[in-house]
Amino acid sequence: MTAVLEVVNLRKAFGGVIAVDGVSFDVHAGEILGIIGPNGSGKSTLFNCVLGQLQPSAGEVRIDGQVTTGARPCDLNRLGVSRTFQLLQVFPQLSVRDNLILAGQEHQGSMASRLFGRADAGLGEAAAQMIEFFRLSHLAEEQAGLLSYGQQKLLDAAMAFMAGPRLVLLDEPAGGINLTMLGHLRERLQAYHTERKATFVVIEHQMEFVMALCTRVLVLAEGRLIAEGAPYDIRRNPIVIEAYLGH
Amino acid sequence: MTRLGTLAVVTATSAAIAAPFFLKPYGIFLISTWAVLTTAAVGLNLTLGYAGQISLAQGAFVGIGAYTVALLTPLGVPFFVAFIAAGLLCFAIGWGLGYPALRVQHHYLAFVTLAFTTLVFLVLRNEQWLTNGIYGITGTPRPTVLGWKTNGGQDFYFLCLSILTILSFATWWMLRSPWGRAFVALRENPIRALSLGLDTRRYTLMAFAIGSSLGGLSGALYAPLVQFIEPNSFALSLSFNLLLMVIVGGSGNFFGPFVGALVAVLLPEWLRITQGYYLILYAAAIMVMMAFCPAGLLGLVERAAKALNDRRANATIPVRGEGAGT
Repeated sequence: MTAVLEVVNLRKAFGGVIAVDGVSFDVHAGEILGIIGPNGSGKSTLFNCVLGQLQPSAGEVRIDGQVTTGARPCDLNRLGVSRTFQLLQVFPQLSVRDNLILAGQEHQGSMASRLFGRADAGLGEAAAQMIEFFRLSHLAEEQAGLLSYGQQKLLDAAMAFMAGPRLVLLDEPAGGINLTMLGHLRERLQAYHTERKATFVVIEHQMEFVMALCTRVLVLAEGRLIAEGAPYDIRRNPIVIEAYLGH
Repeated sequence: MTRLGTLAVVTATSAAIAAPFFLKPYGIFLISTWAVLTTAAVGLNLTLGYAGQISLAQGAFVGIGAYTVALLTPLGVPFFVAFIAAGLLCFAIGWGLGYPALRVQHHYLAFVTLAFTTLVFLVLRNEQWLTNGIYGITGTPRPTVLGWKTNGGQDFYFLCLSILTILSFATWWMLRSPWGRAFVALRENPIRALSLGLDTRRYTLMAFAIGSSLGGLSGALYAPLVQFIEPNSFALSLSFNLLLMVIVGGSGNFFGPFVGALVAVLLPEWLRITQGYYLILYAAAIMVMMAFCPAGLLGLVERAAKALNDRRANATIPVRGEGAGT
């Protein structure tokens, strides 16, 4: 299987604190890879290094075999890599529809053509479909900042998919949302994955969510990769249990 | 735009066209000043209100534009060539000034732009060989447009109003395009914007350059309007005044600078009947305004319109049991 994402010996140190310590893994096309680990294990730092938000201290990142270590997030996005953040990151003053158009507009023509072209960058229909897909139709013209937390989480995820990415990195998508919304989000992610054959990497603390969604799971502790395997095996892995429970 | 909004714009435009026919020369000078400074405030609203990049340099760009026209037209350069040169020069300088904005934000950026304004003021004052220093430059001629002489106050006002209309339309076009959405994204969440493929660096520089360019074009009209320019006119107080126009009108609201400039230009004049107290009253009025409507006057209008709409909507919801077929 082709590796969409390859992370090789990635290391990130903040002064004397090593947040990510020589982590290596591959993500294959069409896979849903889960990354779990206790708080402070380096999951989000790993994401930020892969996605250009942070410069790694050492190691290499490759997207489709092309070295992208240290590339800017906007350039990675144009390569078909998208992400969500741990904390909500919608544009509160823009409507739901405009949030989605914004999420895809930079993939439409050149900067100059976007100035003289259509106000919706030709994405009106695609945004309507995405709104429908995430069942936000009744909120399409609402300001994103006025939506409930769970609805904003859905919008946040929808924005990550708007440009039709090949690889989506989701940082704690289930964080802080209720069980009903959680089920809805998981079902929508699975539906998107089935329909578009997209590749997902998911950081999550909510174990049921990870077990139900992911096909393979990596476990990080103190910046190191301590286990890797199918969700069922990971759940019973004594090293993982020790890392989580401390005994 | 709502029907009420369209009606307000049509009424305001009609009033702006009709106003000089009912005003004395000083009144016409004031509304010309309004038209000129609104152009600069529209530019600042783009940089600050939409893109969220605080700038205390807009007054300096008005100065650069004014001096460009005042220096070029006596050399025989046609007004409109000098006018465009002023815009282009300020675009280039504004682009350069945008670079610090890539590194610093908020009050730190305010200080960078404040330092730039001071620098421009010092150049205008000290480089006498170029700017005539504190003696300033007099007699910048008013242009003739396709045989239409704009020497008279009323004619020049209509020229300023026409240019304001064209530039405002161009700005509106840009803000309704994907660029406008990108500028708002820059203001609200640059990190997320970057992750969505927006080249935030280029958009930040664009926001600075276009905003500054509008400041320069405003200055290019300011020189023939007042026909005497000197460095003090473009010191920090003008930048603060332009900032006040944007904030009082409604930062990030397209029509905010129009209203804000009206308040900042006309209110002190109306308060002159109070003689020595007019500045105190003006300051007090601004403080009260900011305390009760931090979103600006148009923010207040929008709030009132929303409350009215909500009341109407509530009034039309049938009380349980009153609906047909129950």
